Amino acid sequence: MSPVLSLVNVTKSYKQDGRSIQVLNGISLEIGEEFIAMLGPSGCGKTTLLRIIAGLEKPDSGRVDIPENAKVGFVFQFPTLLPWMTILDNVALPLKAQGMGWGEARERARKYLSLTGLQAFEDFYPREMSGGMKQRVNLARALAVEPMILLMDEPFSNLDPLTAESLRSEILDLWTLGVTTVRSIIMVTHSVDEAILMADKLVILTPRPAKIAGVIEVRIPRPRDRRSAEFQKLEDRVYELIAA
Amino acid sequence: MLYLLLCAAASVLRMLAAYVLSVLLALVFGVAMARSRSVERFLLPILDILQSIPILGFFPAALAFFVTVLPAGIGVEAAAVFLIITSQLWNLIFGVYSSVKSLDPMLFDMSKVYRMGRATVFFYLCVPASRNSLVANSLISWAGGWFFLTSSEIITMGAAEHRLLGLGTFIMEAFERGDSYGFYLGVASLLTVILATYILVWNPAGETILERELISLRPVYSTIESSVGSLWSTLGNLMIKAEARIRLPSFAGKAIVIAVLTSIAYFLVGGLKQLPSFDIESVYGSLLEVAYELPLSLARVSTIVAFSVFLSLAATYASYARKGIMLVVLLVGEVLASIPAVVWWPLLASIALGSPLGPYMVATVVMLQGSLWYLYFNLIVYGLAGLRKDLEEMSRVYRIRGLWYLRSVFIPSLLPSLASGALSAWGGAWNSTVAAEYVSFGERVIDIGGVGAVLNRKAAKGDALGVAMSALLLSLVITVFNKALWKRFFEFIERRYGGGE
Repeated sequence: MSPVLSLVNVTKSYKQDGRSIQVLNGISLEIGEEFIAMLGPSGCGKTTLLRIIAGLEKPDSGRVDIPENAKVGFVFQFPTLLPWMTILDNVALPLKAQGMGWGEARERARKYLSLTGLQAFEDFYPREMSGGMKQRVNLARALAVEPMILLMDEPFSNLDPLTAESLRSEILDLWTLGVTTVRSIIMVTHSVDEAILMADKLVILTPRPAKIAGVIEVRIPRPRDRRSAEFQKLEDRVYELIAA
Repeated sequence: MLYLLLCAAASVLRMLAAYVLSVLLALVFGVAMARSRSVERFLLPILDILQSIPILGFFPAALAFFVTVLPAGIGVEAAAVFLIITSQLWNLIFGVYSSVKSLDPMLFDMSKVYRMGRATVFFYLCVPASRNSLVANSLISWAGGWFFLTSSEIITMGAAEHRLLGLGTFIMEAFERGDSYGFYLGVASLLTVILATYILVWNPAGETILERELISLRPVYSTIESSVGSLWSTLGNLMIKAEARIRLPSFAGKAIVIAVLTSIAYFLVGGLKQLPSFDIESVYGSLLEVAYELPLSLARVSTIVAFSVFLSLAATYASYARKGIMLVVLLVGEVLASIPAVVWWPLLASIALGSPLGPYMVATVVMLQGSLWYLYFNLIVYGLAGLRKDLEEMSRVYRIRGLWYLRSVFIPSLLPSLASGALSAWGGAWNSTVAAEYVSFGERVIDIGGVGAVLNRKAAKGDALGVAMSALLLSLVITVFNKALWKRFFEFIERRYGGGE
């Protein structure tokens, strides 16, 4: 299986108060058609790596290989919606920006809003919606560009536990049913539990400057049960790796 | 009568042209400053100076420039529109700039991830984000435009005098003829036009967009809103489509900027060549004259600003306590602030010519009009919005009332917007010295001294260079004051009273 995306020896440092702080220290990784969860202690550079993959930042050295014309969807940590637009137009705007007419863009946006269960709310403004609903719009917008790669930056960290849990299972359903164009998901998270519940493969990073501490495949069949012995065992292994 | 209508239409059109240009310029410059560090570093200090100097002083030079660069008729018209723009533009630019600057940076990340082009970001992120501050500032800018309307319609430069068709000219001509019926008719129509534009357009806009109660009538505004809205979105869609189709090479943006700068420089040099030659001795003379008259104006301006602070605080408190008062005072303020500086003199001619102190009283009124309303609008629009509900409730629970409430809650809460309003009022007061310290009624000249009077005397002699030099020196002094005094004051206020807990 040829990789969808590969990172070759990516490094990155920031200047802060005149000092240079290295964040990423040579990350190499091949990602195929799979769901990757990226785990690591807070401030280790997970989000920076995700931003580099999205093209929001440039690595100091190394490179990111993505097939030409591959589209990328991004689920931001916060909904990041334009308050002056209805959610339908919020989802349609990226399509519009790429030269699609409003009619066609809205048609496509409607399709993905209904996929995330929001078809009845298309005329709502973001301020009229709950946090969980706004995060769904964020997801619908990412899917509507019909991306090959879906990036998610701690997408559940600002939701209440119940809402987070139902959104997790919805995303898993979309992924396992294969109703979207997404072939790879990379999710940054600091929850070991969430990573094992959702992903095919866990990539664990060391504290700053981040290197890859280990890659663990999750071979537990879905739907996964948090209380099962194999789940618990895997969780212990991941914690050991992070602590090391 | 038909002539009067024609004059009113001409003035309104002139105002409209200047306003539309101001808004477009404000959007382009404001967004460019907020989005690009280098543009910000270049423009911020320039605008800082421009907004607080007496633009009227540069007007003769600007007029000479426009008249030489453009054909005579268009040149004078362009100069008039230019003058009105200089009285509207600065607060609009700063409003757009701070709105875009304070947008959540994640939104720009979002636009980058989804590969939105400049046009999309401009039309769908930056412009909607600036909408509230554009409307709030338009209430002030529209009045500022009227305030300078007459000065822009009758332009005297030595022997040459340019008169444009308009209400300002109509009023002044009636007054010069001694036609008091015509004069009051002109002033009445001016007031009607100003009142109508506020009640029909700006107040409804403020009500819809700022969600604030104002005296207004809706139907006209709804039509304007929907047609401007559809025009704007058509323009936006065209630009976005063009941008998606045509991928400009990355240097295109820089090339456009360089081309614009070069052509501005070309015109500027062409215009400057036409100006009278540089006479070092006369420059020296005008500098001395300005230095000599400056303290007088400084004293007047400081007094007026202090008085404005006091008056506007009182008016704000009254508005806060009784909403009815606010509605009336706002409307009265909108109209009073709009009355052209030059019209105050003939309007109050009996006072001005009646006693030796008369001119000083009228000058005070003119300067007050040029500064007070900046403060009041700032306090009403931004200040009262910043008054925190929890502090109000706390005061009610602990029965903090009357003077105590004013001193410990009300005024401290207003201080940040009081400070920025006072800065505008200070600039406005300097600007109005040009209209307040010198006026000529046909044969009679009232000259109460000061820098504004110096500028007028030089303009009356046709000494464009002297006017520009004096204005330049004055700008320098004002800038020094701003940097030395206001900046520290702002920092102190921000540290002590700004932000949260």
